[in-house]
Amino acid sequence: MKRLPHLFRSPEAIAGALILALLAAMALAAPLLFPGDPQAIAGPALLPPFQDWSLPLGTDRLGRDVLAELFHGARTSLAVGLAAAAAALLIGALVGTLAGFAGGLVDEVLMRITDAFQTVPSFLLALAFVSIVGPSLGVVVAAIALSAWTGPARVARAEVLSIRERDYVAGARVIGMHPLEIAFREVLPNALPPVLALSSVIVAAAILTEAALSFLGLGDPNRVTWGGMIAEGRTVLRTAPFLSIVPGVALVLTVLGVYLAGEGVVESTAMRRSLS
Amino acid sequence: MSLLTVSNLAKRYDSGGKPFAAVDDLSFEINPAETLALAGPSGSGKSTIARLVLRLIQPDAGRIDFEGSDFLALTGAALRARRARLQMVFQDPLAAFNPRATVARVLDDPLRIHGIASRAERPRRVAALLERVGLNAGLAARAIHEISGGQRQRVAIARAIATKPSLIVLDEAVSALDVSVRGQILELLIDLQRQERIAYLFISHDLGVIRAVAHRVVLLDAGRIAESGDARAVIANPQSAIGKALVAAAPRLTRNRP
Ligand SMILES: Nc1ncnc2c1ncn2[C@@H]1O[C@H](COP(=O)(O)OP(=O)(O)O)[C@@H](O)[C@H]1O
Ligand SMILES: [Mg+2]
Repeated sequence: MKRLPHLFRSPEAIAGALILALLAAMALAAPLLFPGDPQAIAGPALLPPFQDWSLPLGTDRLGRDVLAELFHGARTSLAVGLAAAAAALLIGALVGTLAGFAGGLVDEVLMRITDAFQTVPSFLLALAFVSIVGPSLGVVVAAIALSAWTGPARVARAEVLSIRERDYVAGARVIGMHPLEIAFREVLPNALPPVLALSSVIVAAAILTEAALSFLGLGDPNRVTWGGMIAEGRTVLRTAPFLSIVPGVALVLTVLGVYLAGEGVVESTAMRRSLS
Repeated sequence: MSLLTVSNLAKRYDSGGKPFAAVDDLSFEINPAETLALAGPSGSGKSTIARLVLRLIQPDAGRIDFEGSDFLALTGAALRARRARLQMVFQDPLAAFNPRATVARVLDDPLRIHGIASRAERPRRVAALLERVGLNAGLAARAIHEISGGQRQRVAIARAIATKPSLIVLDEAVSALDVSVRGQILELLIDLQRQERIAYLFISHDLGVIRAVAHRVVLLDAGRIAESGDARAVIANPQSAIGKALVAAAPRLTRNRP
């Protein structure tokens, strides 16, 4: 925690961190401020924003509270984005470490699989996966992770390839350590920094993918999502544009916040590294 | 009977497409509690020999017998178990440890891996190892990068003796240390050899150091043995061209084996 202040030194990073903090607060406060089902009807349909102060952002086509939906949507977006990114980083780090450390046939096979995943456009992959397995939160997370792990895998492999030639890896072999322990306990933790540097981009992409899937009606139908809200609003885009604009702006800000904060962290760690 | 017998060992590498022999038809042996020095100019194959003997790389030809059995025949778990008996100390003690490690972890690993002591007993063993190499047991909690180079090399030696090996390969293990620390480390090594009957394959380009610690010496030239014999005799009166060149290049050869 002592590091936190100088993690966010640049104004961009501070802006990013503030947006993320706001978003996290929204996600955490959603069930407190808007208990009950955000998908329940709360008032007259298509109430414009700033008319009725009990419904500050108005209502949608079915009379649902837009502000409540926005808060609950933040929950879904963040949860899916973080879970999918964490899963993608984990899978990528494991696959990349195994491939780079084992070398030979294992490397060949794992990297061909990585190639195969990478040649399919990632959104199509997620789309296909959800349409086959069926939309639920877990499946959406898995689909996004499946389409995003290849980048971390490549970065991890490259890093492991250079680390495995170091003396300390030879030293671990000399004391009789099992190869899997060497790979995952000695090598992987030291290969992580450049992999984790990808996390902001991956979280941002995961949030966008989730929104896109929901927009196409492939999100979890029992959850409010920003993508789903945009899709809902699209049918009345001319008469009630705010229904698409509000979640759209939220989405853009979120992705921006994640990206800026992530860049700030990467920059300050790079700075700390070059200082030491 | 010799502890380690290397017979007709060969290792080739590719350099720009054409193969060359880093180690060529090499044979030597080491007896229990003996120090055999490997000397030779840079690139003569010393580190390659160390890595071959430690089974870190595979030879192209030859045979290695260690403690009376075919060391090259061992694989997997059997090889890992046997590694307890054959340890190594590297030149750069900082590069030789995981940058995230603490002293305690570095010494705990071999004890755990080879089941030498129970989890509850290991901290005491770690402390004893530190004291055995002349370090304060309180150092255990420190990170590897926090201690001095000389302390680090002592930790490396403690790690190497943790599994009670019969042979330790030291690849330029004192070359990176400054002179006063170097003398202390050499004395520690000699003391350990006397007490525990450990043999050393002592790799160095420094004939002064070799004369101080080695019983016998093998002089290498381009992966082949140029000359070998009693360390002091060879250094006092080298016969081969490479031996003469190494002696001529050495700074004052004044120290004797203590
Ligand atoms: N992995 C490798 N690939 C190609 N050539 C190598 C490799 N390792 C060592 N060599 C070459 O083998 C020769 C012997 O190297 P080395 O054993 O490190 O010598 P020394 O330790 O005596 O300085 C050198 O010419 C070196 O360039
Ligand atoms: Mg060398």
